Amino acid sequence: MSIQFKTITELREMLDSKIISSEELVNETFRLNEQFKELNCFVTLNESKSREKAIGIDQQDEPLSILSGIPLAQKDLFCTEGLRTTCSSKILSNFIPPYTATAVSKLEDDGSITIGKTNMDEFAMGSSNETSFFGPVHNPWKKGYVPGGSSGGSAAAVAAGIVPAATGTDTGGSIRQPAAHCGITGMKPTYGRVSRWGMVAFASSLDQAGPIARSAEDCAILLNSMSGYDSKDTTCLDLPNQDLLETINNPIKGLKIGVVKEFDMSDLDLGVQQAFEQSKKLYESLGAEFVEVSLPNISASVPAYYSIAPAECSSNLSRFDGIKFGHRTEDPGNLEELYVNSRSEGFGDEVKRRILIGTYALSAGFYDAYYKKAQQVRRLIKNDFVSAFESIDVIMTPTTPSTAFAFGSKGAQNPVELYLEDLFTISSNLAGLPAISIPHGQLNNLPIGLQLIGNFLEEGRILNAAHIFQKNSDFHLTHPNMEDFK
Amino acid sequence: MTWETVIGIETHVQLSTKTKLFSRASTQFGESPNTNVNLIDCGLPGVLPSVNKEAFYKAITFGLAVGSQINQTSIFDRKNYFYPDLPKGYQITQMDLPIVLGGTMDIETENGIKTINITRAHLEEDAGKSIHDEYDGYTAIDLNRAGTPLLEIVSEPEISNAKEAVAYMKALHRLVTFLNVSDGNMSQGSLRCDANVSIRKLGDETLGTRTEIKNINSFKFVEKAINFEVKRQIKQLEKGETITQETRLYDSVKDETRPMRSKEFANDYRYFPEPDLLPVVISDKEMQEIKDSFPELPKEKEQRFQTELSISEYDAKIIASSKSMADFFEASIKETSNYSLLANWLIGEISAFLNKDSIEINESKLTPSSVAMLINRIDDQTISGKIGKSIFEEMYTSGISPDEIIESQGLKQISDDGAIEAIINTVIQENPTQLKAYLGGKEKLFGFFVGQVMKLTSGKANPQSVNELLKEKLK
Amino acid sequence: MDQETVRTICHLARLKIDDEKSEKIESDLDTIIALIGGLSSFDTSNIEPLYSPLEQTAVKHEDVVNSDNCKDKYLANSPLSNDDYFLVPRVVE
Repeated sequence: MSIQFKTITELREMLDSKIISSEELVNETFRLNEQFKELNCFVTLNESKSREKAIGIDQQDEPLSILSGIPLAQKDLFCTEGLRTTCSSKILSNFIPPYTATAVSKLEDDGSITIGKTNMDEFAMGSSNETSFFGPVHNPWKKGYVPGGSSGGSAAAVAAGIVPAATGTDTGGSIRQPAAHCGITGMKPTYGRVSRWGMVAFASSLDQAGPIARSAEDCAILLNSMSGYDSKDTTCLDLPNQDLLETINNPIKGLKIGVVKEFDMSDLDLGVQQAFEQSKKLYESLGAEFVEVSLPNISASVPAYYSIAPAECSSNLSRFDGIKFGHRTEDPGNLEELYVNSRSEGFGDEVKRRILIGTYALSAGFYDAYYKKAQQVRRLIKNDFVSAFESIDVIMTPTTPSTAFAFGSKGAQNPVELYLEDLFTISSNLAGLPAISIPHGQLNNLPIGLQLIGNFLEEGRILNAAHIFQKNSDFHLTHPNMEDFK
Repeated sequence: MTWETVIGIETHVQLSTKTKLFSRASTQFGESPNTNVNLIDCGLPGVLPSVNKEAFYKAITFGLAVGSQINQTSIFDRKNYFYPDLPKGYQITQMDLPIVLGGTMDIETENGIKTINITRAHLEEDAGKSIHDEYDGYTAIDLNRAGTPLLEIVSEPEISNAKEAVAYMKALHRLVTFLNVSDGNMSQGSLRCDANVSIRKLGDETLGTRTEIKNINSFKFVEKAINFEVKRQIKQLEKGETITQETRLYDSVKDETRPMRSKEFANDYRYFPEPDLLPVVISDKEMQEIKDSFPELPKEKEQRFQTELSISEYDAKIIASSKSMADFFEASIKETSNYSLLANWLIGEISAFLNKDSIEINESKLTPSSVAMLINRIDDQTISGKIGKSIFEEMYTSGISPDEIIESQGLKQISDDGAIEAIINTVIQENPTQLKAYLGGKEKLFGFFVGQVMKLTSGKANPQSVNELLKEKLK
Repeated sequence: MDQETVRTICHLARLKIDDEKSEKIESDLDTIIALIGGLSSFDTSNIEPLYSPLEQTAVKHEDVVNSDNCKDKYLANSPLSNDDYFLVPRVVE
């Protein structure tokens, strides 16, 4: 029986009724990946350890937990002990971490099997997976098209049905946007829900780890496992235990959904607009009410983000100096050459651009106008959300302005073009709010995503709204035919 | 032309916490290289800092002792620059909202007490060590020290000369050791300072251009470095030249300051609030805990020694001036009740020996028990003060207890009148010429007879008894 | 952005831009700066900056050693080290 395109729930069923063993599941996963290796989803595979763990699970007598033996792909931004972690950068192409990220170890402790580390935009900087040192990832729906980024490898691996789910990270939309472009479900939790220990830092006040899967239900399963207090991360919240599956089936009659006045939909692709209108109708038929809300400062999101994120990353990436780990230039004549050459050889162009912009935004004379200003605007944006949520329960937007595009077609001339991909997703990172993207249509055989943004710590609410939508539609059940890759 | 010197000092005090400021690695000095290091200290990708509570408590203790304002909410900032012993490429420090603001330190100058204002004090992490001369062509990096908590204390530019600078540093050293904020071990680098020195015409209100002499780690060098720099600047100004604002290092071998290698680009540290650390709040309850466990300050000890133990003001001051001496004294008085005799010994004989070896009392072989025992033996007349001195020398060198020394060398004082009388009789019999001379009026010969008795008893005869009995006999 | 500023920020970031790419990268930087310059049109008078989405305070840890003292583990990833130290080209102060 094929395992391709199966959800976690379906695979759990197959494992529990012994239709397939854990070992067989793992072998099948590696075989599928080999078959579709052209997609370039993985940077490093974890074959022997995966098989070993699977065999161990098969030998266990005790009842298994929901994730036992489930193969997962881990984004290569998470440190995994003994398993190469590259962040898709040349500068870490040989880095073997001596420890594992909390989010990953929680999933592994709950029985999941780490199949391998997925390809991504270098250091999570990008929206197309084109900045990877290890080459671009193909969108399984169309060869030569981007899967989105930065969690492109994870999204493609799930969309192609190689794994039922994967982890991603989201700083400005890096889980939601690839989920949208690949026709699957991806979620960024509230900032502080999941520990950042072991997650290589890009922009510390924006980064958050999250699940990418075939359904809202599977996302809830993954998030239940990944989240939780970690004293090693002082920005991680100490919250009471919550089972996100408990409320996922609640009826949504009376759910108040906000539509943002300032997002001018008429600028978007017709197909995107139409899908949005259709989904509105579906929600209304399920009892939800739509309310117009105003987020007056929302247009400041993109400029604020591209001031804050590069600033924080310029500092976070200073540790890559060729001394303690990572790429080191050959025969540096002196310390300056060691630094400049190691870093310049090791980082790609997008990373360099962001480090330079970040350095500029923090530098004397510009700090107030760029970095501090952006953080002030950030508060305005957050305040707007706080006001809006007084009258509504969730906010609905398209996930992206358009569908996936061909390699090299955006951003080559003007990087800002690519930055505008994040128009709808960025504001929830700035405000620290949870948000989910679910597939809700197609345009020219390319998926379109719908985004739901929730209030602080209201993952349960948006998972519920997403799940009910999925119970009453079948967008999430479609998958690419993979013809391009056979 | 009369010149005025203006000096401001930034002192980096290593806090005596067991673990580092942002990680749980040990701060134990002297470990082999790169062993007091963990993921966080190495700056590995994906690691995050977490805050050491004790470092805050120690910083606040200092702040309270100098009468400063404590910012119960303080934040950390990143100071960005590249150097091999700075693993993350930035140092986590406090810029805009430091834990301590203001305060004063009193110093003793030749013109009396002078109050130096403290601008601020903040917490920051120390860098690792760069070892330049051990491997040919390379600099070796040891990260053991990286992450150790430092309290950077900044004084107002109110210090007027090198002697005052040393007095300030010594007062600071005494305070932080008494407060258990730092172990004050200079040779281990627990206290380092940067001196900002500028010169202006006497009466001028504006400050002259200053130079910064970095990383001075001894009181002696503080004095020499500042003296050299002041002379250098004055010489330059008298020639009509201007002072270049620069960073300099003190070379103790050549006894001069020289500029650090000049950099093409001025360093822009691009400070911004540390996003991995939320603001740190010290609750009112914690503040009370800190106040409740506040150690006794030198001045308070001085007072207490005088009022409770009837030690003289002079003695009390000296004993209270050093934490190790004060601690030793307080431990000793548990085992002896002759406080003044103990004080005399500590200040006199014992200090003389310690100073000769340039060590603190807690670095010597003496223990509070052994010294108390010595005092008791003198007090109860088992031995004379004089014999006590030779016993002490043995104690100091070997660490053996006084009782053991007295026993093994048979040094017990002879106090038995009968025994002494017998010796006196022998001396008188054997020295008829002197006896006749004494009885004839040469009173100075009394000392001769005392000396002879002492000789025959190897110094062990109780001097008082000898005097009394000899007087009787020689009537 | 003038040449001088580019040189300065490249130095601060310890990065160099290849000559053949420099014009493109400089123009990219100008474009991005124009983007973030748009922030100036927002009125932020009396607004406190929001440095973290969490309006919380840090948890402090106890001063108890909890570390593995594993020198070899940390030196293992270094591109140039000996048994005891990380090594860099000799630095002259």
